[in-house]
Amino acid sequence: MSQLHWYLLVAVLLFCIGLYGLVQRRSLIAMLIALELMLAAISLNVVAITSLAGGDAESATGNVSSAGQVVAVILIGVAAAEGAIALSLFVAIQREVQSINVEDLSELKG
Amino acid sequence: MTGPTLAALLAQFAPLAACAVVLVALRGRPRTAAALAIAGMAVSFAASAWLVAAVAVPGRSFLAQTVFLPVDQAHSLAFGVLLDTLSTTMALVVSAVTLAVMVYSTGYMAGDPGFARYYGFLALFGWAMQGLVLSANLLQTLAFWELVGLASFLLIGFWFERAAPAAAARKAFIMTRVGDVGFLLGVLLLIRTLGLATIPDVIAAAAPGGALTGRTIAVAAALLLMGVIGKSAQGPLFTWLPDAMEGPTPVSALLHSATMVAAGVYLVARLHPLFLAAPDVMRGLLWLAIATALATATMAMVATDIKRVLAYSTISQLAYMLMGLAAGSVTAGYFHLVTHAGFKALLFLSAGIFIHHAHSNDMREIAGRDPRAQRAGAIGLVAGSAALAGVIPFAGYFSKEAILGAVGAHGTTLVLALAYAGAALTAYYSFRMVFLTLVPAGAGATEAGGAHGGHGGTGAPAHRRTPGERAMGVTVLVLAALTLVLGYLGPWLGVRLLPGEAVREPFELGTGALVALALVAAGIGLAWIEFGRAGAPRIGFLERVPALARFCGDNWYLDRLYRATVVRWAAALARAAQWNDRTVVDGATDGVANGTVGGGRLLALVQNGNVQAYLTVAALLLAALAYALGRVAVAP
Amino acid sequence: MNWDAFLFGSSAALALIGALFAVSLKNIFHNILGFALALVGVAGLFLTLGSDFLAIVLLLVYVGALGIAMVYAVMLSQPLDTPRTPRSLPKIAGSALLAALVAMALWLVIRRAHFPGPPEVLEVAPQWIGRRLLQDYVLAFELISVLLVVAMIGAVMVARRDPGRRAPGTAAGTAPRPGAPR
Repeated sequence: MSQLHWYLLVAVLLFCIGLYGLVQRRSLIAMLIALELMLAAISLNVVAITSLAGGDAESATGNVSSAGQVVAVILIGVAAAEGAIALSLFVAIQREVQSINVEDLSELKG
Repeated sequence: MTGPTLAALLAQFAPLAACAVVLVALRGRPRTAAALAIAGMAVSFAASAWLVAAVAVPGRSFLAQTVFLPVDQAHSLAFGVLLDTLSTTMALVVSAVTLAVMVYSTGYMAGDPGFARYYGFLALFGWAMQGLVLSANLLQTLAFWELVGLASFLLIGFWFERAAPAAAARKAFIMTRVGDVGFLLGVLLLIRTLGLATIPDVIAAAAPGGALTGRTIAVAAALLLMGVIGKSAQGPLFTWLPDAMEGPTPVSALLHSATMVAAGVYLVARLHPLFLAAPDVMRGLLWLAIATALATATMAMVATDIKRVLAYSTISQLAYMLMGLAAGSVTAGYFHLVTHAGFKALLFLSAGIFIHHAHSNDMREIAGRDPRAQRAGAIGLVAGSAALAGVIPFAGYFSKEAILGAVGAHGTTLVLALAYAGAALTAYYSFRMVFLTLVPAGAGATEAGGAHGGHGGTGAPAHRRTPGERAMGVTVLVLAALTLVLGYLGPWLGVRLLPGEAVREPFELGTGALVALALVAAGIGLAWIEFGRAGAPRIGFLERVPALARFCGDNWYLDRLYRATVVRWAAALARAAQWNDRTVVDGATDGVANGTVGGGRLLALVQNGNVQAYLTVAALLLAALAYALGRVAVAP
Repeated sequence: MNWDAFLFGSSAALALIGALFAVSLKNIFHNILGFALALVGVAGLFLTLGSDFLAIVLLLVYVGALGIAMVYAVMLSQPLDTPRTPRSLPKIAGSALLAALVAMALWLVIRRAHFPGPPEVLEVAPQWIGRRLLQDYVLAFELISVLLVVAMIGAVMVARRDPGRRAPGTAAGTAPRPGAPR
């Protein structure tokens, strides 16, 4: 196993731990935590691949290793925005239905 | 964009713009709506007049076309304009008649709750007809052909809250649709063979050595003729036209002169070389036209409703136009179309004055309501009837003479004799109408000569005329003057429509013309003996035989025949189809529906409102996708 | 054992253990702490990849901002003294199975994929990131800033008490008192 594969293994495990939490936990906040873990795993994946397996792909301003970091920065920005919105939604939901247990929130049941 | 193209677009889209604005924004403001529609039509008229002048040089024509949707190498959708003397003069006639009808309607339709809607529909009609006339290819023609049908449906059924107009509108729409099936197939056939089917291309392909084989030409011509027969109310499909009289009278004037029914004849003239290349089809058309002309003339001889008389005469005259075209003379047929547009609009609008005044369509009732007080109407009716009958200085004489000349040059003696007989019958029924309308029953008809009808009004008009009624009168008088002028257009048209054709002098009184005039005189004389003179029996020779009168008064029982056969079969077919629909189709659909509902119930278990269940499904799909990718992604 | 391998191993262990804490502990505060721990681990992994800047940003945004926001959300939403519903074993087992399945599938992809070698020059200095952000990715950069502003305003709008709404418990029809405690 190469160095890259170790990083990817960690990322996969992190992603799947996040998935486990997302599917298993009832609390919306815990689910958000799990989701953020998955996003972090993806950032790790991107940075690892571009740093360790970027090859000789070039662009106008440099090679691919810094591009991966830029993508990671953008991902972090998205994650922050998503977290802010999600948390404010949780507060609103809590006020509306007195619960943030996801199993109680089934108004869309078909 | 060149000047002619621009003018052609203006001629088409000014009415459309007026229609859109009227129907969308001006429904509640009738006066503004009428003014706008008239303005739009006036613009169209001016543009058309300019176009006529622009292509007045013999042999000049413009074709401007833009392809906007290429389908493949050979086929595409295109819109354009074809400008030559035929299309521009027709556009002028259409816009002139529509304009006249619009001006006239300010009086006739005053106070109608649907006044603005009426003007919107009139503008729509004007647009559809202008589009049809100026269109550059057959697909475009087809589109506007159907639009014309739609507009006439809307106008015939304008008083749709009453049963009869609604039924008449339906009948008109469906019967013309029967012919349009053939028309559609014919257009498709030509498009399949020729791609774009631009009209000059079609004509070129129909020439000897062109791209079309004789068989294709014959089939296409026959199919197109089906549409013409439906649209121009010929042969077996004419019965919708008399019923269409349920619409407002100005609409009838429009429908009968320059628009709807003229579309069919115009199409034959437009594609005349194509039709001429199918001589068998043309021979059939000739016979059909003669039969139609004579049959509807007998129907006009017994009708008592003035509008029905005019409707039958329209069919008969359309048959004359087709006769001229079938006999090989585009000039004769088209010339009669133009003159007929003028005098038939005049006749209907004059009749409208009487109907407006007497509140009745029945000629005997109109005669009882001091008809001669309507001076403009009386002048118009007499002038129009003289033109219809073919009295010498009026327009109808020249064009009918041209047709009879063409038929004589082409056909057998029998055909010619029948055509002359038709002319005599026309003279008879048109003056029967004049006498029945203008000579009060029982009164001494001392001054019942045609030309004196206008001076009959002895007493002052019973009431002051409103501006609308004055507009009606002025329109009628203008059209009456036109019937005296239009007849001299023949040579002018002839030179430009078919440059090679020999030009006939208008006043060249050959044997044929003398015979025709004698027959016309005989017809008028018979009408005078039976209806006009003092103490006339006021009953025609056909009406003396009750069986014949019933036969002719009931469209030769054609409608009964249709009800007994086609309609009944159609109803039986419809019932069978309904059974099939109820049990087989609905059964299948219900099965599908039940299956869907069942499947939905099953799948609804997944849709349980629990986000985490959805996430599970998504993750499973992700795993499946990753697995599939892992199988595929092999290192290069 | 060299320094790099030690740093990688400890960071990875920190990330995974923190992640396990974050998803498995019952107390939501412990979860948040575990989340912070996991992200410290991830930041360490970024350090081993040479992305110092990214590591710092990650710590600032996730551990600093997001963690604090989560604590606030917990305090605002969840009364800590409410009895927790016990976890159901089938759900835990099913979720674990699902996660394992996905992990295996992803690992399969990774094993089969072909990766080119590392780039000859690693451009990891912050100025490279800045250059990229404002040249190649300027559109994404601007979009992200718009997204962040929208998210900020939206979060305020969603979470604030709506004075127009009927407060729960008050009778329908009585005018709500703006700002009244509920």
